[in-house]
Parts: sequence; structure tokens; C-alpha cells
Amino acid sequence: MTDRFYLGEFEQVVLLAVARLAGDGYGMTVRREIERRTGRAVSIGAVYATLDRLERKGLVSSREGESTPERGGRARRHFVLERAGAQALRRTQRMLEQMWADVELGAPRKAGTS
Amino acid sequence: MSRPPRLAEWLLARSAHPDDRAAMLGDLAEEYAERGPDARRWYWGQALRSIAPNLAARFAPSRHLDRADDPGAATTMQTLGTDLRYAVRTLRRNLAFAALTAATLALGIGAATIVYSVVDGVVLDPFPYPEPGRLVGVGPEYPRLGRELSFWEVISPAEYLDIRAQSRTLERVVAWDMGNRQIAGESDAPERVFSAFWYGDAFPTLGVAPALGRGFSAQEVERGERVAVISHRLWLRRFGGDPGMVGRAVSVNGDPYTVVGVMPPRTLVYGTDLWLPMWATPEQVPRDARQFQVLGRLRAGATLAQANAELATIARRVEQAHGAEFKEYAGWRLVGRTWTDINVSMLRPAALVLLGAVGFVLLLVCVNVASLLLARSAGRRREVAVRAALGASRGRVVRQLLTESVVLALLGGALGAALALWGTTALAAFLQTLPLPIPGDVRLNPRVLAVAAGITVAAGILFGLAPALEVTRPDVQGALKSDGGGSIGSARRHRMQRVFVGVEVALALVLLAGGGLLVRSFLRLQRVDAGFDARGVLTMRLTLPREKYAPAAIAPFFQQLAERVGAVPGVRAVAFGSQFAPMTFQRAQLEIEGRDAAREGQLPVAFLTQTSDGYFRALGVPLRRGRVPYERDGDQAQPVAVINEEAARRLFPGQDPIGRRLRASKTGRWFEVVGVVGTTRNAGLDRPPQPEVFSSVRQALGQNNQLFLLVRADPAAGDPRRLLPLVRREVRALDPDQPVYAVQTVEEAFATAAGPRRAATLTLTLFGLFALALAAVGIYGVVSYAVSERTREIGVRIALGARAGQVRRLMVRQAMLPVALGAAAGAAGAVALGRAMGGILFEVRGSDPLTLGSAVALLGAVALAASYLPARRASRLDPVAALRA
Repeated sequence: MTDRFYLGEFEQVVLLAVARLAGDGYGMTVRREIERRTGRAVSIGAVYATLDRLERKGLVSSREGESTPERGGRARRHFVLERAGAQALRRTQRMLEQMWADVELGAPRKAGTS
Repeated sequence: MSRPPRLAEWLLARSAHPDDRAAMLGDLAEEYAERGPDARRWYWGQALRSIAPNLAARFAPSRHLDRADDPGAATTMQTLGTDLRYAVRTLRRNLAFAALTAATLALGIGAATIVYSVVDGVVLDPFPYPEPGRLVGVGPEYPRLGRELSFWEVISPAEYLDIRAQSRTLERVVAWDMGNRQIAGESDAPERVFSAFWYGDAFPTLGVAPALGRGFSAQEVERGERVAVISHRLWLRRFGGDPGMVGRAVSVNGDPYTVVGVMPPRTLVYGTDLWLPMWATPEQVPRDARQFQVLGRLRAGATLAQANAELATIARRVEQAHGAEFKEYAGWRLVGRTWTDINVSMLRPAALVLLGAVGFVLLLVCVNVASLLLARSAGRRREVAVRAALGASRGRVVRQLLTESVVLALLGGALGAALALWGTTALAAFLQTLPLPIPGDVRLNPRVLAVAAGITVAAGILFGLAPALEVTRPDVQGALKSDGGGSIGSARRHRMQRVFVGVEVALALVLLAGGGLLVRSFLRLQRVDAGFDARGVLTMRLTLPREKYAPAAIAPFFQQLAERVGAVPGVRAVAFGSQFAPMTFQRAQLEIEGRDAAREGQLPVAFLTQTSDGYFRALGVPLRRGRVPYERDGDQAQPVAVINEEAARRLFPGQDPIGRRLRASKTGRWFEVVGVVGTTRNAGLDRPPQPEVFSSVRQALGQNNQLFLLVRADPAAGDPRRLLPLVRREVRALDPDQPVYAVQTVEEAFATAAGPRRAATLTLTLFGLFALALAAVGIYGVVSYAVSERTREIGVRIALGARAGQVRRLMVRQAMLPVALGAAAGAAGAVALGRAMGGILFEVRGSDPLTLGSAVALLGAVALAASYLPARRASRLDPVAALRA
């Protein structure tokens, strides 16, 4: 894996949620954390699809956790941020900051006159 | 604590990657438990929105492959993964489109598979016998009696022996009859079972081998030995599947019998559970005592036409030999038909109409999906052009669009398969409860599912691809510059869409008109007067075993039973009789005193019904003239008869029937006509009433041991079925071993007779409405698209002073052109369909203008509404915004 790749938007969001939850991150908490902070409805399927991808890239890792009756006896899967994940977040953040530096957007341009 | 919705959970579990499944379901269950009253809705939202990412994640190939660093080295699998994810994302962005397309596909596939599976199991291939096409029933047609071809209780033993001895093309022939017997094991209570009596061994004719033991030997048949074959299901249910069943003793109507065989599973002939040898001795039975069916198996290499030619010769020989004595032989014919034909002929017209209709629906679905995809491709032109400009190869772009179509098609196909499976299972269970002459073995036909899914999926892919090919023609610049309007591609697309709308409207009109004709027939049928008060009468049949009841004891038993049941609270009247409208099956040729049958063109035929006193009063059949039989008409007195008005009209035209005498056989007693009663719909509501002759059970000399008990409930007592346990108790009090069966109300008997018609009506009407909905979607799509494409033009018109009403009219008028053309074509098709449906219509002509007019009006209204909505949007455009767009 090269050092020169940046995270997609939803990947960042999910990684940040895992980071915020600091060890208490599993599917349900990650999903809720994103919904609460972004105000955006997020489906559990999208969360898992992204977590799977992040895990394959080595940015997060997961372990099987406890199962409870209200889960129908199904085990939790806990996710924690890996070093590579933290680096990827930093790198993306730096990249964005560099891109944002000194940007003046002004008033939004009116819709096209093509 | 409530459980999450099962179906939503199932959808999630199916779509999720196996590694994620448990954790994901667990997470949702945990959160579900914490949520408040909206938990269910929330769960469904989660499930539905998770399907797409789940599928994308699941089929992403990189789960198994290392991510390639060099994008140029992407493998086919990786490309597929990318395409899949992209496809899912695109479809999600336009969820309404995806849902509509998938639902349309699913309904088309589901409906086609369900209808074909049912028609296949019920009409095309209903019997579990090998080579069912070689199994032939033989029946006579008597022009002298005005009696049409029939295959039930129509052949006498002497005639059967003629056929068996002279036929070469039928390698096996067997005669049989059906009835009821009470069977019991060594020491248990008897049970009434439907039975068949065979003049020979049924197994080789049917072409099946017994599961255990054997059939009847010639000797057992000739001597009338007490041997029995039982059905597989009776063997399992009653005798616990005893492997030593052959040789076991059972009692049949109280007599000891030995079981010699067990039928293989599913080999039921008309649901008969018990087979006995029939010991008919032809020399003792008159040639015109016709109570048997004849079943034969065609010799290998012989055709049905050959068999029929041979049967015609046999009939001629019989006519020459016996025509002088038996007048009905003049010009008679013997006809062979396949057993399947004979049994499903009444269902076939309805079934074929449904098959045709479902074919139309499938076609409509294809057109609709094509139309939806085409409308959508408008929005994709630029996107694809951009990708092409950025260097995507044509193949790569086509593959991407193809992936999208396939994902959509597979989604629709999977939903359709689920629908088909569910529908077929539900219908099969329902069919088992109907009194059909066939096993009713309906199961999902995988070939049909494959064909239906194949056709629709292919249509989806094809039309998903058509715009892809159009878009990826080398004219990248044109597409980039285009704003969607005015390009050549768009004109062609628009034209194609309008053709689609025309086709949809035509198909929808045909289906709607067909459904309308059936609905009108059905309503007409509902209004037919049965000729008596059919409401609130409970009926059941009892067969008194001849072994136990002497002929003279039969009428007294029923009389006693009627008196006891009459005393039950809630019972208003009780009667009994050998048949009632519409459960009529006994009819005979009559001889009228003083009239020479030989000189008449048509010999008189009527239903012959034995009745108790009070039969007409209990059923509410009005007495028109004379009197009904009463107690003085005992078994020693002059036999008397009552005829219905139809019989008076046909048998005694212009004469007074009272005092005339008639009889049902050459040797029988004369019956004097003493009264005339009103005509009932004795052959079913949709058949013309038949002449009927009633005589008293008392004067029948015990000939009939199977009678119906008719119990009219007090209207205040509610559902007459609630009387059943009380009636059963009275039967048990008289004879604890006497079963009661064929329990139904008169209304149910009429409804059962109309069952296939009702099913066809319901199905075709549903199809018609579905077609209407599809057409509406198609029209809406076309007009919406036209509006979006002509936004600027409309803006100019409004800016130049066009009023909202004018703009609306313009858009609607343009949309209505293909609708009108389609309706014209559809009307022609509807008339053709109506003509083909003639056989299943009732008092409605196939070209009924009212039905066709209503269908056109309904379709027109829906089409107007569907085009008005987007047209109104167009008329409200802000000209400034529209010009900038």
C-alpha cells in the first residue's frame, strides 16, 4: 500500500466515529454516533460495507464481543482504529487543509446559463 | 418485548455478507429493543436501505483479492465489483425508478409463473398416470334423445362387453362405477369412503403398478369375490402404513373383505379411496341400464382418430343388432376422448383465456420496463458522454450500463420468484379444498419461472443496453453540447416511447375488456333466480348399506330421521330426496303412454328425482297445478309423479299433463302425473333448466339407498351450518355406524358450480387493473419526460403569453395521440378476445358495446389523469427559470 492515498468522505466519517467511540465502537454505536453528529440518516448496511472495506485496508480491526438476549444471542463485533487508520485520517485532514488554505469562495454563483 | 419484523430481518440476512450477518442483525435487534413506538418503521427503513450496500459489499471482489495498486491492472473481477457498487449507488439515487422497475418485473414474473403453474397442474397435465394422452374415456351420443356426448354413467355392461370384445386399438378397457361404502378395520368405527367398482383390473389401464399387492383377477371380478384395494392415503391414515396390509381383513358395509392391494401415492381416481370388483352379470342386466364409465388405454402406435373410427363401427354393429328393440340406438355414436380432455373440458376455456391474458401481462411488463429504462436513459446521456470523453472505452461504458440493467433485472427476478413461490403454494393449498375431479397437484413449475424470468430479464437488459449503445456512438461532442433537447437521439427515443405507450394502452384495453366481460357475466349470474329459496338450506348425503337395510327399510329410516331432525330447535323444515338443484345427476329416457316413440324425432329425457313429502315446501318450490304426493300414495298404491313446468312444456306441448302416465323404463311401472311445480335451475345457474320428474321415495321401492337430507334453518337461527352437530346427533341416535357426508348448503352447491368462473373473473380483473396501472405509469413517464425535455420551449411559450390552460392542453393532447391509436388497436383485440371467450360468458355477448365502452372510458380517464399531472407541472413553470435551465 502506498502512502499517497486519501480517504473518501464516508470512510472518514466512519473512521472518525470509531475513533470517537474509543474502544466502544460496534455497528450500532458507530451508526448512531454518525447519525447524531451529522444529522444524516445512515443505514446499518452502509456502515458495515464501509467498515469491511476499512478493515481490508488495515485501517481498523475487529474482534468478536459479547452477546446479549436483546441481540437474539448474536455477538457484537467491536472495531478499533489501527495505526494506519489514524495516519490515513491525518493525511486526509492535512490534504484538505492545504486545499482549503486561502480559499475565498465569495457568493455562490447563480445556476448556469449554458 | 416484540420481535423485529421477520420479513425485514430475512431481507437483511439474505443480503448481508455472511461475515457481517450476525453482528448486523444483532446491532439492529439491540437498537430495536431500545426504540419507542416507531421501532418497526425504523427497522424497515434500516433493512430496505441496507440491501443495496449489503449486496455491493458482498459482491465486492476485493474482499478476496488484494487491492491492486495500479488501476490499469484492474482485473475483470475488480471491474465487476466497481461496476456493481456503482450500479447499486446509481439505482439508490433514483430509488423510485428502481423500485418501480423491480416491482413491475416481479409482478410480471410472479403472475406468469403462478397462472401457468396452476393451469399446468389443473388443466394441461392433471393426472399422475404415465402417458396420460393414451388414457381414453368412451361415451355415447344419442341424437334421438337429444342427448349430447357424455362420459358419466352412460354405458351398460352389455355395451361395455361389445366394446371390449371388438376394439383393437384400445389394448385395455375397463368399466367402472362409483359410490359410497363404509369401511372399518378389525375393531373400529366405520367410516364412509368414496369408492370405485371395477369391472376388471384398473392398474394396467391406468398404467400404474400397485404400491403393495395387486389388482383384481378375472376370476375375482366374475365371481364377485370379497377383495379390496385401498388408496395410499387411506392405508397411511387408517391403517398406519402397515407393511403387512395385503391379506388383512377389513369390513366393507359390515361384510368381511380381504385387502389384496394398495394404490401408489397420488393415484386416485376421482378421490376414491376404496376399490372393489364389480360383479355385474351382463346377461341379467338390461342393455339400457347404463350406469358405468368406460376407460381404455390406446395401444402403442394407435391414434385417437383410429380408435374413434373403430368405435363408430362398433356402434353401427350394435345399432343393427339391437336398434329394433332399443330406439335410442338410431344414429347413436360412440366417442373416445382423452381422459384429461373429459375432465378438464369445463375448465379449459377459462384456463386458456387466463394463459392468454398472462402472456399479455408479460408482454406489457417487458414494454413497460423498456419504456422506463428508455425514459431514464435521457438523463444518462451526458454522464456517459463525459466518461467517454475522459477516455473510457465503449466496451467499458457498455459494461457499466449493462451491469446496472442486470442488477435491476436480478432484483426484479428474485422478487418475482419469491412472489411466484408464495402464490403457487397458497393456491395449491386452496385448490386442495375444492371438490375438483382431478388431484389438483399444483406446484411451482421451475421451467415456467425460468422462461418468464428469462424473457423479462432479457427485456430489461436489452433495453438497458439500447440507450447505452446509442449513447456510446462516437458522437461525443454532440452529446456533451446537448442539453437533452433537440438531439436526434432524443427524437428517436421519444418516438419509441410513444410507440410503447400505444402498445401498453392496447394491451391494457384488451385485458380490461376481457375482465369486464367476465364481471358482467358474473353479475348476470348472480341475478339469476334459482326458482326456489336457496338460502339457509343445509344438505348432506347418507348412503344406507344394502347389507344392513332391506329396500323396504330405506324410506322409513329417512322418514324417522326427518321427524327427529324436524324437532331440533332452529329447524324450520326437513325433507329428503335423491337430488336437488343444482346437484342433479340422475336422468332417464321417458316413455309417455299412448305415444309411439318410434315416430317421434326426439325421445323425451328428464331428471328423475325421488322426494319425500314436504320436499317442495321445504325448498320453497311453488306448486302450479294439481297436487304433490301425500301419505296415501303408498308403495302399494298407483305410483304418482309431479313434473316441473319445463317438463310440462316440452313433454306435453299444448296439452294438459295432469292424468297422463309416463315411465322411465320399458318394464317399469307407469306413473300418473298429478301435479306441476315451478321450474328450478336444476342444472346450475348458468345452464338452461331441464325437464324434471319427481316421484315419492315411498313408491321407489327402495331402489335408491343414497339420499340427501335437506334441512331448512329458521332464518332467525343464523348460519344453517350450525345445525350440523345437532343433525349428526340425531343420525347417531338412529344408527351409530351411519356416516353423514357431502355436507354443504344449497347456496354453496351453486357457488361451487360457479367456482371456475369466479376464479377466472377475479384473475382476469386483477390482470386488467394491473395492466391499467402499468399503462398509467408508462403514460406518466412519457409526458414527464416530454415536459422535462421541452422545458425551454414551454418557457418561451409562456413568456410569449401562452396561458396555463393552453400549455396543459398542448401537453395532454400530444400524450393522447398514442393513447387513442393504442385504444383503437386494443378495441379490435378486445372484440377478438370476446369472441374467443364466448364459451365462458353468460348472457353477455363477446362484443358487448357497454363493456368495451366502459373499458375505453376507464382507460381514457386514467390516461388523462396520468398525463395531466406532469402537464400541470409544465404549465406552472416559471418562464425565467425555464429559459435558464
